[in-house]
Amino acid sequence: MKHSIIDLLIRPGAFFQNAMNEEESLKFPVLVVLAGGIAGAMYGYLIGGLTGQLLNGLMPGMGTIISLTTVLGALIGTFIFWVIWTGVMYAFSIVFKGEGSFRRTLEFVGYGYLPQVFGTLITFVIALDYIPRIHVPQLTAAAAQNPDLMTEAVKTLMHDPAMMELSQIAMIISMVFLLWSANIWIFGIQHSRKLSPRDAALCVGIPVVLYILYMVYSLTVI
Amino acid sequence: MKIVRLISLISVILLASAMVGVVAADFTTPESIVAADKVYVSGITYDPAVFFPGDKGTLTVDITNGNTETGVNVNHATVSSDTIKITSRPYDTSNSLGPAQKQSFVFSVTADGLTGTYFPVFSLSFRDSDSLFYRAMVKIDDSPLVLTILDKPDTYSQGKKKTIYAQVANLRENEVKNVILDVSGTGITTTPSRVFVGKIASGATVPVNFTVTADQPTTLHLVLNYDNGDNPHTVNMDLPVTFGVDKKQANPIISNVQTKSDAGIFHITGDVNNAGLETANTVTVTSLSPAVPQDPYKTYVVGALKPDDFGSFEVTFLATNTENVPLQLSFKDADGNIYNSVQDVKISASNTTAQKSSGSSTIPIIAAIVILAVFIGGWILYLKKYKK
Repeated sequence: MKHSIIDLLIRPGAFFQNAMNEEESLKFPVLVVLAGGIAGAMYGYLIGGLTGQLLNGLMPGMGTIISLTTVLGALIGTFIFWVIWTGVMYAFSIVFKGEGSFRRTLEFVGYGYLPQVFGTLITFVIALDYIPRIHVPQLTAAAAQNPDLMTEAVKTLMHDPAMMELSQIAMIISMVFLLWSANIWIFGIQHSRKLSPRDAALCVGIPVVLYILYMVYSLTVI
Repeated sequence: MKIVRLISLISVILLASAMVGVVAADFTTPESIVAADKVYVSGITYDPAVFFPGDKGTLTVDITNGNTETGVNVNHATVSSDTIKITSRPYDTSNSLGPAQKQSFVFSVTADGLTGTYFPVFSLSFRDSDSLFYRAMVKIDDSPLVLTILDKPDTYSQGKKKTIYAQVANLRENEVKNVILDVSGTGITTTPSRVFVGKIASGATVPVNFTVTADQPTTLHLVLNYDNGDNPHTVNMDLPVTFGVDKKQANPIISNVQTKSDAGIFHITGDVNNAGLETANTVTVTSLSPAVPQDPYKTYVVGALKPDDFGSFEVTFLATNTENVPLQLSFKDADGNIYNSVQDVKISASNTTAQKSSGSSTIPIIAAIVILAVFIGGWILYLKKYKK
């Protein structure tokens, strides 16, 4: 990559304009997404650890399984989401008669993941402070026979004041950095799919806004 | 002349015969009179010693011949009195009382008089002398035994054993025997239900204690039976058994209650203080429905709490869809009677905390919407500017 990361973050229009002159390459986007995946896995490891503590009483080793699942899920999930986001934006761009390959779109969307890497790292650092303050209920083996007890346990964990605060902070940070990514994605879609700024904004803005609204809704129903 | 002589002779013969007859019927001699003087009443015994009006008993008169060499003949003994009725026959047979010998005359008597002191007269006739008269003093007293309650509970509680401290006093001048106290009542268990006291001397007091366990408010009947001689007598007393709050009873109270929820299982911790005046034994705390007690503290045993003492407890239970959970506090008294009290505890504290957290989540939601609006607004402005 011949252009700086600063350009990508601050002047994405110029960055993608220049990037269009280069050959399609997924190397750097993969690294960005991988970094996002690792950051997500680190954060997931902390959160998964809480769930592991919750369920450890049900079966020995359950905590480790939960933590591994969370780490792998975050790592792989980031790549899957990369493709899904790209697919959704690509699909929207078809409506506006966009032109350009899916690979190029995937590349530019991958670049756009960079702010989210920072956001996840910030969330991870904050989580390091919050996690020890979260009171995790201990389920016994007998609780496995009682679904109400399991539900209550999860509800208790989610309603823990520290957990609630962490969730809210994580949501705000995630949203801010997602919007930053969306800002980059708009320019990326504009160039990769040869759309007007308005159409590109709609292609990116609609799914992103919907996703953010879903995040906010999820937080309210906890 | 011959006739006169004959009449005179016959008269002399008849007079002589009469004189011989008189001498033959009267054995009184100066010696016999002296001997009779030495016969005395050596003892008077009434049984009972003091009569109730109407009591039956015996009078024993002991006669002693004080002569060392001369015997006396007695042939009639009796007692005469208006207030002491003699119900047995007088002694009518002649009997010889040898030197220094003693003889008892026993009479059955009935006390017909009222309270007072009376003097029946005992008379003993001698064959060879005049009679002996003796005033045998006797008392009639209608004073019964006195049954006194020294200490008793102010109120009773169902199933709780209480002790009643009583006393039996004998105000009479004689001893009474076979004293028995019977305790009874409907719905009452007394231990013992019959107390045997035995004899009570004059002026003596005897403590009588018994326990009462009442299952219902009722009346406690005390019947004191005793014998004065062979005459049964009774003293009755009724004691009301009313239920109420025992002022001294142990009174454990739950305080300093703190609630937290853990995996849907509520943990309630607190203190139990004994605000009563008696020891509360085996104090336990557990939760009642709708709560379902859960391990590890389905029931917490605090143990014995002396007055003004306290102990901590912790109970764990599962509860859903409820804000209050009743906690049952149980303890035993010294007799093993179990007492329960229930106190409601609000468990919505943890939920409240969660709700407060939920309530504060409106701030990040508003922040999220504002940030989103700024982003969208910024892009709209950018697009307008881009068009121009």
